Amino acid sequence: MSYFERALVAAIIIGAVGGFVGCLVVLRRRTFFAQALTHGTYPGAVAAAALGVSVPLGAAAASVVLVLVMTGIARVRNQGAQVAAGIVLTGGFAAGAILAAVVPSLPVQPESLLVGSILTVTPADILLAACVGLVALVLVVVFGRRIVFSTFDQAGFRAAGYREWPIELLVLGLTAATVVSALPAVGAILAIALIAAPAAAARLVTTTYRGMLVTAPAIGAASGVLGVLASRALAIAAGPAIVLAATGFLLLALLGSKLRALPWRASAIPVETAEDARTA
Amino acid sequence: MTENVVRLDDATFTYPGGSSVGGFDFAIGRGEAVALIGPNGAGKSTLLRGILGLVPLTHGRMSLGEPVGEASGPMADAAARPVTAKHSDRGMLGFLPQSMEFDLDFPISLEQVVMQGRYRRLGLLRWPGRADRAAVRHALETVGLEELAATRFGQLSGGQRQRGLLARALAAEPELLLLDEPFNGLDQPNRDALVATLRRLKRDGVAVLVSTHDLELAQQVCDLVLLVNGGQLSFGPVADVLTLGNVQRCFDGVEVEIDEHTLVVPGHEGH
Repeated sequence: MSYFERALVAAIIIGAVGGFVGCLVVLRRRTFFAQALTHGTYPGAVAAAALGVSVPLGAAAASVVLVLVMTGIARVRNQGAQVAAGIVLTGGFAAGAILAAVVPSLPVQPESLLVGSILTVTPADILLAACVGLVALVLVVVFGRRIVFSTFDQAGFRAAGYREWPIELLVLGLTAATVVSALPAVGAILAIALIAAPAAAARLVTTTYRGMLVTAPAIGAASGVLGVLASRALAIAAGPAIVLAATGFLLLALLGSKLRALPWRASAIPVETAEDARTA
Repeated sequence: MTENVVRLDDATFTYPGGSSVGGFDFAIGRGEAVALIGPNGAGKSTLLRGILGLVPLTHGRMSLGEPVGEASGPMADAAARPVTAKHSDRGMLGFLPQSMEFDLDFPISLEQVVMQGRYRRLGLLRWPGRADRAAVRHALETVGLEELAATRFGQLSGGQRQRGLLARALAAEPELLLLDEPFNGLDQPNRDALVATLRRLKRDGVAVLVSTHDLELAQQVCDLVLLVNGGQLSFGPVADVLTLGNVQRCFDGVEVEIDEHTLVVPGHEGH
């Protein structure tokens, strides 16, 4: 497989997994948390690169620490989860920047950890992303209706005799795993776009959560392919191109939903269907 | 003698924080409806949550069908430690909560929300089958929303949402239905629909415990009244318990008027 084909496969898989897990993130309104996670894993990635161990491994270790830190800060004096996420986001990023500056001979460009380099992903990176996707799929098939129930109606979920924390932990874990597996391809800064944008776009164009879980991975994968192709055709960086493609899909979905909501469309549709009925 | 669906013997429920309501000594049989009446903060929701197993039973006994919990005080030995309803017992309970903190943007249909009432029966790995879909359809018919089954839940009106949640509670095919202030903020058509539904459920043998500020409801659908303020004050047939003196005592000296139907309690929401 050429490096370019490998990049395409990586883009499809990472885009699809990001879109799929992104649905849970967007529906549970954990986007800011996910963003904090992406930025906060940066020092872990830098440290791993400096030590010569696997970058996703370092990021994974960092994400476990971050989830604990955020849970801790969220409990402090009415500060709440948003504040915790904000602190971790900026603090983690600053720590990574300092680490990258003081470690004299970092074997990789710090920049590639920030925006990724999909043309240099290894088969192991792809395998990791695929495994994360498979685990996410199985967990959503098994726990999906409980995730939906607890997201939609937390009080009712508890009253029905279920516990909330295993669901929260499951979604946080999947989010962290997705961020970590997307890191080699799109980096610490851009990963959030692959999680949030396809899911947000899918939410606009579908009416059911099941539809969303199918549409978002498709949009994510399409963004990946478009980005990689654009990066070759226009000689631009692949990571940003993928993210711009995902953002483009979101804008299209937004435009589409705005157009649908316009009054002239609403009155035009019955006329069309009446004409269809006559010609049929 | 009717068969008891729920029975409490000198039961006390205590939040982990320490606040508790106690002295509950009553039973509800099949097809009986009990109005739970008391001022705000009297412990009505705590009692409902206690029966649901969300607040620990710390004293006395509670039976749901069969005995599920026995406790004889926080200082007692290990055998008498706080007991909550086991998960397996929750299948017979239906609950309509008071607070409605939903994500109304959530892309979920009314039918899917009602199906949530079946999840306890489905467990983790079984997919909804014909019996589950039939129960959902039947529950939607009971509350009169079958035509809106495919509508997104967030697009329903407030009253329809509440009926939808009642349908979710009914889809569990409960033997005991717990309703926390179900009439708050309902307009007349939705109110009438709810009264009709509760009457039908009674005929079908469902036991109902409904907390309310509304004495009209108590008289329309309930056989028994449970007056509560920090614990049980009195329990019995509507005509015996719902006297001016009892209600005044229950509402703690707050001025109370009973104008035939409506309980007017200044300082509480008046209907």
